[in-house]
Amino acid sequence: MRAVFLVAGAVFKESVRDRVPYGMVMFAVLMIAASYLISQLTAGQDLKIIKDLGLAALSIFGLLIAVFIGIGLVSKEVEKKSVFGLLAKPVTRAQFILGKYLGLVLTLAVNLVVMTVAFYLVLFYMDMTMPAMVKAGWPAPAPDPRLLIAIGLIVAELALVTAVALFFSTFSSPLLSALLTLGLWVAGHFNSDLRRFENVVDVPAAAWVARGLYYVLPNLAPFNVKAEVVYGMPVSATHVGYTLLYALVYISVLLTAATAIFRRRDFK
Amino acid sequence: MPPAIESGLRPSNRWLHAATAGLLALSIGVQVARDLGWQPYQPTTPVLWFQSGALLKKISLGFDNLLADIYWMRAVVYYGSQRRADESDRNFDLLDPLLTLVTTLDPQFKVAYRFGAIFLTEAYPSGPGRPDRAIALLERGLAANPNGWEYLHDIGFVHYWWLHDYRLAAEWFEKAGQLPRAPEWLAPLAASTLAQGGDRQSSRFLWRQLFESSDADWLKRNAQRSLFQLDAMDVIDQLNLVSQRFTRREGRPPTGRELILEAGLRGAPLDPTGVPYVTDPATGRVTVSKKSVLWPLPTEPAVQPPAPK
Amino acid sequence: MTAAIETENLTKDFPVGFWRPRPYRALDNLTLQVEAGEVFGLLGPNGAGKSTTLKLLMQLLYPTRGTARILGRPVGDVSVRQRLGFLAENPYYYDYLTAEELLSYFAKLFGYRGDDVPTRVTRVLDEAGLGAERRMRLRQFSKGMLQRVALAQALINDPEVVFLDEPMSGLDPLGRKQVRDLILRLRARGCTVFFCSHILSDAEALCSRVAIMAQGKMVASGKLVEILAFELKGWELVVANVTGEARAELDKRARQVTPLADGRFMVDLPPTADPARLMHELSGRGIELVSLNPVRDTLEDYFVQTVAAAAPRQTGGV
Repeated sequence: MRAVFLVAGAVFKESVRDRVPYGMVMFAVLMIAASYLISQLTAGQDLKIIKDLGLAALSIFGLLIAVFIGIGLVSKEVEKKSVFGLLAKPVTRAQFILGKYLGLVLTLAVNLVVMTVAFYLVLFYMDMTMPAMVKAGWPAPAPDPRLLIAIGLIVAELALVTAVALFFSTFSSPLLSALLTLGLWVAGHFNSDLRRFENVVDVPAAAWVARGLYYVLPNLAPFNVKAEVVYGMPVSATHVGYTLLYALVYISVLLTAATAIFRRRDFK
Repeated sequence: MPPAIESGLRPSNRWLHAATAGLLALSIGVQVARDLGWQPYQPTTPVLWFQSGALLKKISLGFDNLLADIYWMRAVVYYGSQRRADESDRNFDLLDPLLTLVTTLDPQFKVAYRFGAIFLTEAYPSGPGRPDRAIALLERGLAANPNGWEYLHDIGFVHYWWLHDYRLAAEWFEKAGQLPRAPEWLAPLAASTLAQGGDRQSSRFLWRQLFESSDADWLKRNAQRSLFQLDAMDVIDQLNLVSQRFTRREGRPPTGRELILEAGLRGAPLDPTGVPYVTDPATGRVTVSKKSVLWPLPTEPAVQPPAPK
Repeated sequence: MTAAIETENLTKDFPVGFWRPRPYRALDNLTLQVEAGEVFGLLGPNGAGKSTTLKLLMQLLYPTRGTARILGRPVGDVSVRQRLGFLAENPYYYDYLTAEELLSYFAKLFGYRGDDVPTRVTRVLDEAGLGAERRMRLRQFSKGMLQRVALAQALINDPEVVFLDEPMSGLDPLGRKQVRDLILRLRARGCTVFFCSHILSDAEALCSRVAIMAQGKMVASGKLVEILAFELKGWELVVANVTGEARAELDKRARQVTPLADGRFMVDLPPTADPARLMHELSGRGIELVSLNPVRDTLEDYFVQTVAAAAPRQTGGV
């Protein structure tokens, strides 16, 4: 287990020093700040728009970080052969995979914390500057702690996407891994349409295939409670619990499969 | 022979494969459990982020046709899912904006105009019941393609079937027939519509044309259903005559059984989809079962006066 | 005493081609033994199967057939890696870590803790000749500096067996000398060194035993003096201040006379010539001797002969 944490630590150190994610975090922070300006242009709905844009920026930039660092750290390591030196050390390939994954998730979590802090700063500013009369019309307070539920599920979703990226990068090139991961992310969000596919087609076989895909592909729609939180609607603790459990189980599926592929792999 | 690890051969993955399969099964279990208490959230006032097709066309960076396809699929899925939704929270508010968006992005999207109009006209609960919006949509289609006789025909059809305005319907059919490449049957259709109004024969003719000319399954099935409804209405008229005869004679409406005996049938009469007709015990009136896909029957054009302008 | 490294019929096929992959034999039935404390050179031109052998020993590749054992344990055994050092060809490490951080990361992977870690890191970095650069991030390192870092990381655990893939590549002459000295120090310490190279002078200077590979097969192995007879093949004489008469005399005796710059000549004499007598005669005519070298059979010559003798392979290369 020590080896796993050591690998994770090195991944974390390496990726927080890389400038690319900094750029992304900066961009996201700017975008959250800009949402304040955008909200000035629209009448009435400004708090909603700030929250929508903020949460969207959080999940999109989190996604980019997850995909690009996630791919970079395993495929690049294989491609540039630094993996040779590491695997000649007393580290099993399973420890390598698990360590890489934990390091990536840690990096991702830190990046999201930075963005969340920026997001709340904008919301607090909003709360301070608005007259009480306007505030009375809001469905939820500006710095609503319930936003953290949505952000927590975004983190869980990104942890899952990172596992997808890691899985692909154990057997394909960096570019292909990135494309496959983004593709699966898109599919994962449209996935819930597959569940009721029989509403759209009348061929039973197609509906069964759709249902099979719904259960087997990563299902990302349940992680998305952004709208509920923004509209101040209830999000059931059961749903959050099941979704987190699902993330945990599905990540285990991906990491087990990634290990299975990686430990039998030849490094030419 | 030493074990694999001793010889340095590739390790076996049997356990890892088993673990992967087991965990995948577990993930399905978790999803099933979760889905018992979860539906993808749909806000009560649904939001279409981009209401302006013109803006969307600008920012689509040349992929406007692709975007139109995507929004068209979204419109179809939206319509389909609303039709299946519980009646309490069924609404079709986004259908018209979505169709407008699609046709702004791709003004030549014929299917979106023609099917979209059908979606819009369907009466609640099968659709929003907005023939006015359907006509507006088709008129935009016509503006984009002035030689599209189909749009003229469809507008006429909406007037005929949903608004029961046979004079206007005949005018549109007439205009459609004058366009190049329009089929020959439009001129006689216009004449018979004007002469006979909304009798079942004309309706049957219209639906049969639609059934035979359409290559889209969905449209064909829709036309087939309407043809079945017309057939069912003929049978229902016959049965109602028998029912009235019984009521006059006995002073009370017949039960379903008595109606069968009175009509001299061997068993319960079935509608064209194979579902038995039902008799209202209070009035003795026969109609299609709510279980049948033919329910509800269209408002009978012949007995209704033309809709006021 | 068991051999430090032994392989038996070690064979590796790679599938080549996308549609109908055919096996391409990168390594064919390699059987060799390296005794503890030896410096063993695996030599051959590019594509001979040297790196494949090394990767099989490090279990970066799985063999198609055959076995390999290091320190009496099968190569799949992770615990044996505790006692190994490995320098990969063209090493790349993490761009954003410093040399010190990288080495302490590796030291910890070997299970060292506390003060032991910085002590070891400092020692191996000194040994590899890295000075103040050790606090720089690796992306700022030149190729030669990275090679030194790579060498340092291979020694962090005081390994009993060190595997070096082209250890001299990317180094300047001074660096090559340092690496050569380092390998000699390792040998003095009793460490087994197994290295691959296509540069033969390295092997001549260092190895107690070599194996020569060509096209996936071992074509010769043994002590260098056994493979090469070190037979005298001639003399190479460089002279200056040559008069016309002396030139004629040289042409008579030499196999070939090649004019060099500044009026010098290179004279190729057959092994039967007696250079001492010749010099004596020539110096009487005012000719000045610049250098005199015996020409012997070199590994280079052997290399050219054996590789040329091996039949061309049927399948296309990777």
